[in-house]
Amino acid sequence: MAKFNNDQISAAVWLAVGVAVALGSLNYGLGPLAAPGTGFLPFLAGCAIALLASIGLILATLKRHAGVGWTPILRGVRWQKPLLVLAALFAYALLMKPLGFVLCTVLFIGFLLRAVEPQRWPVVIGGAVAAACGAYAVFNLWLKTQLPRGPWGF
Amino acid sequence: MDYWQSIILGFQVALQWNNLLFCFIGVLIGTLVGVLPGLGPVAAISLLLPTTFHVTPVSAIIMLAGIYYGAMYGGSTTSILVNIPGEAASVVTCLDGYQMARRGRAGPALGISAFASFIAGTIGVVGLMLIAPPLAEMALKFGPPEYFSLMIMGLTILTFLASGPMWKALLMAAFGLFLGSIGLDNMTASARFTLDIVELSDGVGMVPAVMGLFGIAEVLLNVEHSIKRSVFETRIHHLLPTLRDWRDSLGSILRGTFIGFFLGVLPGGGAVISSFVSYAVEKKVSRTPGQFGTGVIQGVAGPEAANNAATGGAFIPLLTLGIPANSVMAILLGAMMVHGMQPGPMLVQEQPGLFWGAVTSMYIGNVMLLILNLPLIGLWVRILKVPYPILFPLILLFCLIGAYSLNNSVVGVLIMVGFGLLGYLFKKFEYEAAPLILALVLGPMLEAALRRSLLLSAGSPLIFITRPISGLLMLISFFLLAYPLVPWLRRKRAILPQATDEE
Repeated sequence: MAKFNNDQISAAVWLAVGVAVALGSLNYGLGPLAAPGTGFLPFLAGCAIALLASIGLILATLKRHAGVGWTPILRGVRWQKPLLVLAALFAYALLMKPLGFVLCTVLFIGFLLRAVEPQRWPVVIGGAVAAACGAYAVFNLWLKTQLPRGPWGF
Repeated sequence: MDYWQSIILGFQVALQWNNLLFCFIGVLIGTLVGVLPGLGPVAAISLLLPTTFHVTPVSAIIMLAGIYYGAMYGGSTTSILVNIPGEAASVVTCLDGYQMARRGRAGPALGISAFASFIAGTIGVVGLMLIAPPLAEMALKFGPPEYFSLMIMGLTILTFLASGPMWKALLMAAFGLFLGSIGLDNMTASARFTLDIVELSDGVGMVPAVMGLFGIAEVLLNVEHSIKRSVFETRIHHLLPTLRDWRDSLGSILRGTFIGFFLGVLPGGGAVISSFVSYAVEKKVSRTPGQFGTGVIQGVAGPEAANNAATGGAFIPLLTLGIPANSVMAILLGAMMVHGMQPGPMLVQEQPGLFWGAVTSMYIGNVMLLILNLPLIGLWVRILKVPYPILFPLILLFCLIGAYSLNNSVVGVLIMVGFGLLGYLFKKFEYEAAPLILALVLGPMLEAALRRSLLLSAGSPLIFITRPISGLLMLISFFLLAYPLVPWLRRKRAILPQATDEE
């Protein structure tokens, strides 16, 4: 059994976030109470995060002593699938400008259709092309959304 | 302007052909979103917000509002036929709705849910029309301290009603306040936590945050499992409820409407809570409570009425005080701001056409939904059969286009994907995203109210307690925060329904 439980781990992370926010806010100046400065509210928010995380940490530690251990968050699930989707999303964000909307979308949809829950190739190719062209027609041509163009003009 | 003149003005606006078209598109998309599990009104409104930039503010609000109440109608179809709630407010409809379908009564279940939704939705709109204007007049007396205390109360109620430990919900609200402070300080115009990224000067942006936390995170969670839906294979007939069905469910509909409307008004309340409370009340007043869960029509009629009435109620704090009651209203607030409107007490006076046009469009939308829902049940059933592996790439694509088109920038897309990852981790570690979103939206307003109040009082925080309305609101917040010290109150909170994020 792991040394810490889920709430202990998450509360510790939040404690670090809260302290970082509070310290970072000091750079912007808190100002006097009669005329609060730019850093005043984020400082309060950071302190609140740190305080609540400390309360959570204490409660979680008490629970740990009472026998509540680590609950695996990825047990019994296909954790590789969300990872693939996330990778595809990041890749899409980075490639949509250099490749252009249509090509990037064809690759994105095709990848998801094939990699996450594998579909037959005709469905993958047909679905990807239809989704990309359909979205381009609706958003770019009809709604005049300025979607990124690749070197080939679409 | 008296009520009748206002209503006539509202209908003049709502009946313009373009507004009718946007109302129709809104309720149609809303029903579709409600029917499809894994895509709620919060994500749908965020996705479609950028598409409204090219239309008038009235048309935009009419369409976005239509999505919200349309989703409440559509959600019941999936609950009844598939036993999976189409959206969170229809969770409780599964209990008796699906059992009715199994016993060959899918038609009456779908029919009564559509009629209950229509009756409650219409009464909810009447309530909105009657209560909103006087409340807006009263809200004109509010100063910065009252606004600050009201927003604190809204956040406290939401954290009180959230499922799981209260420290987690409060922590999410505090984190939301921090996220809301990113960008230019609205009093001194100096940049905060922008990391020298120009796009962050306007703040994190509620739309990418919501799409990430609700849309992307939901997809990430769904693809972990192989989703196989089995639509209940039965011939759906007798959609019109019989006289006996009406006799059995009329009381439930009226009770559900009353409960839903008033819980909807409450900041932090909403459609999910109302439907659970309505179900509990129906069970309590029934002569045969043991039959609930076996296919009792009251178990469908009450909650469906409640979640629809709640949508009307939820518009009241938004339109009169400028305070969103739940995540959907928070997005609508953002949408109104994008269109250059400031919801609040002055809205009724300054833009009566918009206010009354939006409200009366809800009448028309409810009629459209009733006409749409019953004959189109077959179509919704067919859509339900579209496999999720085909559907989810399209949902992601809509999210990506929506996030990009906000500022034509990749930064918005990256923020959305980042929030998607955060939302996924929040679910895994059991943190609710709803308080974060509400705090993110309220953050800038709350900060302005706090700083103005302290300026007014020369730095004395007592201003929040010594002014009567503010003091009362603070007292309520304090009472809710002090709950862990009062054992009987803690027990009461423990039995509250597990409100989900799609509140």
